[in-house]
Amino acid sequence: MSRPSSSGNALFSWLLLTPGMLFLLAFLVLPGMLLIVLSLHDVDGMLMVLPTYSVAQYINVFSSATYAHALGTTLWVAALTALLCVLLAYPAAWLLVTTRSRSWRTVLYLILISPLLTSVVIRTFAWIVLLAQNGLINDVLRRLGLIDAPLALLWNMKAVIVAYVQVMLPFAVLPLATSLGEIPAALPRASHSLGAGARHTFMHVILPLTIPGMMSGAIIVFALAAGSYVTPLLIGGRLQPLLPIAIYQQALQIANLPLAAALSLSLLVVTAAIAGCMSYLQKRWERRVYGH
Amino acid sequence: MATDRNFSPASGGLWHWLGRASGLLVYLFLILPVLVIFLSAFSPQAYPQFPPNGWSLRWFQAFFENPAWLRALQVSAWLLLLVVPLTTLLGTTAAYALARLTFRGRNLLQAFVLSPLIIPQVVLGIALLYVLTGMGLAGSLVGLAIGHILVALPYAVRTVSVSLASMDRRLEAASMSLGATPAYTFRHVTLPLIKPGIVAGAVFAAVTSFGEVSVSLFLTAPGTVTMPVRIFTYIDQTFDPVVNAVSALFIVLAVLALVLIERTIGLTKAL
Repeated sequence: MSRPSSSGNALFSWLLLTPGMLFLLAFLVLPGMLLIVLSLHDVDGMLMVLPTYSVAQYINVFSSATYAHALGTTLWVAALTALLCVLLAYPAAWLLVTTRSRSWRTVLYLILISPLLTSVVIRTFAWIVLLAQNGLINDVLRRLGLIDAPLALLWNMKAVIVAYVQVMLPFAVLPLATSLGEIPAALPRASHSLGAGARHTFMHVILPLTIPGMMSGAIIVFALAAGSYVTPLLIGGRLQPLLPIAIYQQALQIANLPLAAALSLSLLVVTAAIAGCMSYLQKRWERRVYGH
Repeated sequence: MATDRNFSPASGGLWHWLGRASGLLVYLFLILPVLVIFLSAFSPQAYPQFPPNGWSLRWFQAFFENPAWLRALQVSAWLLLLVVPLTTLLGTTAAYALARLTFRGRNLLQAFVLSPLIIPQVVLGIALLYVLTGMGLAGSLVGLAIGHILVALPYAVRTVSVSLASMDRRLEAASMSLGATPAYTFRHVTLPLIKPGIVAGAVFAAVTSFGEVSVSLFLTAPGTVTMPVRIFTYIDQTFDPVVNAVSALFIVLAVLALVLIERTIGLTKAL
């Protein structure tokens, strides 16, 4: 095929790329760099930002038992959420790819995509209605005579994790469904004809091939769960030892911006490092099972 | 059997059906909160009951009679007018360039464009707060719009990329071999062909902007309280059943968005 003006073509593409890049430079890269500078500033007793530089904020972050505990809890909650999401995503993805009827598949997709189009405050609010003292679950349990006094279901980390799993599950189902859907039908058939049972086929053929999809989902869910504060703040309460809540409070309520910046960057670096390790393991596994 | 994509495990096996049954339970778990919201929105009491004992529209009425809620709706609507066209424009041009350019580091650039999806929103919020305060835009409608565009841009880039990937590139080549300039070809050949992706991107941008709260909370001021921010402060401080009705309205909008996405690029390709 002849391309008379492929250099003019490329020039035009670069031209089209410019506005998006300028926007991201101004409002993603520049803010990121200024955040680093901000985290290196000192503050005085009135929390005013001083022109002097030091690593005092980071010493503050990493020597404080409160923040160490908050970071540990944040990572633990995010990891648990990712694990639960992947476990629940498997049967959900299985149902999606084995459903033959087109209209039923559309219904399942609708249920999967709709949370992504509903504000996180709305989905979180639904859990409050369900779990509150006079909420739906307590109401039903009381009518059934199973409990006398309402259970305290809200304001604890378990409720936060349940809500997280519900909010983030679609991110785990979709990549897993993709990798299940890409398994050629011939593979499980070959395994059966060689005498392997359904469980053996699953464990030794299907599961290894879907680990990359599970990892993609786990990485996204982990990163989202480690960085969000709206759901835990509303469902767990402001006292939960989670780093994103601490950042929100330091930035907006206490107005110690350098400390909030140092906390944010610590969270970002730790989350990115863990997500990077997971992604490295995923690539190695992909090479092992697919050979490229 | 190069493209035998119809995954079919040993159908009829006990494990297979057990898997499907538990899958169904997971979908019920996913849809449960949505059902709860509708139950609450039409419930005559402040706290819904199950099974429902009657229904009423009083919370919807209370919403439309409250000037503060209507003011928040107005702010959110103004933001849509700013965010949707700009996100669609930036997303379409960036997706096109990323699809057509071939250079080392293209994948890295693509990851960079999609990165706001993964960066903790609390980090985006505080970084933008600091920069926009320096520019005198913190708390303004423009500042909020910038935050929303940043969060919505990856979705627009992705949906347009889906359309670009399924488009026949020979049509562009044909146009240019007939003497059309790249700009003319883009305007009259490429754009009409990738319109479904652009519309889906605009829908995603609208829905993201209308529901955005994590970054908005950092950039909002008393004069620029959006709907989700108002819902957040309400849930945080008091209990107001009007939120039930507002939530139901949000879900109706989400369903409309789903229909639009299904009609453009199809739900299966949306993510």
